[in-house]
Amino acid sequence: MTMKDDDYLWDPTAAPDPDIERIEKMLGQLRSTATAPPRITATVRLKADTTGILAARDDSGRPSTYVGIRFLLPALAAAAAIVLMVGLTWRNAAPASTSAEATAGKASWQVAVIVGTPRVDASVLVGEGRIAIGQTLTTDAGSRAKMEVSDIGQVTIDESTRVRLADTRDGHHRLALDRGTLHAVITAPPGQFVVNTPSATATDLGCIYSLHVDEDGSGMLSVEAGWVAFEERGRESFVPAGASSRTDRVNGPGTPRYDDTEPAFRDALDDIDNGRDPSHKAASLRFVLEHARGRDAMTLWHLIPRVSAQDRTAVVDALAARVPMPVAVTRDAVLRLDRAALDQWWDALGLDEASWWRKWKRPVVAR
Amino acid sequence: MEHVLEFGRVLPAGDSLTTPARTAALAETIRAVAAGDEEAFARLYAGYSRMVHAILLGRVPRRDVDDLVQDVFISAYTRIRELRDPAAFGGWIATIARNRATDYLRRWREQVELPDELPGGDPIEAETFALLEIVRKLPDAYRETLLMRLVEGMSGNEIAERSGLTPASVRVNLHRGMKLLRERWADQGRPQRT
Repeated sequence: MTMKDDDYLWDPTAAPDPDIERIEKMLGQLRSTATAPPRITATVRLKADTTGILAARDDSGRPSTYVGIRFLLPALAAAAAIVLMVGLTWRNAAPASTSAEATAGKASWQVAVIVGTPRVDASVLVGEGRIAIGQTLTTDAGSRAKMEVSDIGQVTIDESTRVRLADTRDGHHRLALDRGTLHAVITAPPGQFVVNTPSATATDLGCIYSLHVDEDGSGMLSVEAGWVAFEERGRESFVPAGASSRTDRVNGPGTPRYDDTEPAFRDALDDIDNGRDPSHKAASLRFVLEHARGRDAMTLWHLIPRVSAQDRTAVVDALAARVPMPVAVTRDAVLRLDRAALDQWWDALGLDEASWWRKWKRPVVAR
Repeated sequence: MEHVLEFGRVLPAGDSLTTPARTAALAETIRAVAAGDEEAFARLYAGYSRMVHAILLGRVPRRDVDDLVQDVFISAYTRIRELRDPAAFGGWIATIARNRATDYLRRWREQVELPDELPGGDPIEAETFALLEIVRKLPDAYRETLLMRLVEGMSGNEIAERSGLTPASVRVNLHRGMKLLRERWADQGRPQRT
């Protein structure tokens, strides 16, 4: 390397070396586009200064920050009292939640730190704050947070998660989970709380569930209580308590299965949903049909529209062996994927909790 | 006249502070950050974010680098009272950045194989990512110094001031790093146009 190279390497204002300049132009495209620092919006509880080096002191020798806080305390107390009085007055005077004030109040959710330093957009969340429509809550590997879903429930956000509040208004609340894990506890009529993921949409039916999204957009829904509908591009899974459903970016929601099934059974279902080798998939289907228990009728029902017409007969037979087809339902109608016939068979599965949801979601055409 | 920002003081370019004065200015800034001064925090960010970005870019996929830069500065903000010697701030935040990158890689390698850098949908050409991959495989000292210089556009003096390395070390790292980079770039059939 020549001295000229070295000069330019050391000092970008020196006469440029063409080779280095070319490399610099290429790599310079990777320069950071973020110019703003993370915004610290709340009072941060800094770790104790054990060294004494950093504590600025006033003339009396007391740490100056203490003086400021002591000075502000009466004002803060007065302000808090005023806020409390105004809040109580408003609550007493406000009519139903249809008022403009209430609607405006629901345009954001309360969010609170569980541990670590979650962020709302570029702002560090400390203690409690609000997340508004369009804002994103991000947790790193050492932080968790919780959100109040208006007045219908709560969502806990695990570590390394990115979730955006997409919408919130009376009767409709929507999150977009880009990656990571959330746990939802919702006590609302069906359909009010929805979570979009890159590969499926989870619609809550009044329940407790967990939803995880991987970096590649695939994910897993696990339901603890109630029901969740998982759907994408017309492919849907109704997932009851104790069951889970994978979702794949290409194929959408997978076939739901109870969590107490054997791993081999779950693997076979994954292969049916996402496998590429036809002979392997055929073997997986045979395995599922042979090993399905009585309660796995829920899984078999979901398989009917997911398998090829050629394989459908075997699935219908396997389901009929566990839950007899209702008398009003014909085998031909099921094989044609007639929605009313499938719904009637679903009702016969003994999963009554879901029938009201299906009626809400898509009224049965004929009975 | 061009001016440079030196921890809150605007100075004419070239009229740099002496080392003790620079250290005192940095200590003052850090004290202000510890007291919750957002402007002081913004000054620290302006002074060190390019170095942190370069360190992370040398280790983790580009799409997550900006997020991780923010994480590093949040971590520094919340832990700044742990810093005993303000003059060591550059080395301290560089260590936070390296540790954050290690945590990131450990976490994702436990779950999935990290995807290669792909230029899909990005106006940046594949050749640039190929060059970045070569830089990433250089020894740490060369890699970080070269990325500060070639990606972030920092001068040798600036790299030395921010990183805490001596100017002589920075010069050696730049010189040897560039030599290795040229050789490996040529080995891939992309010789320099001279």
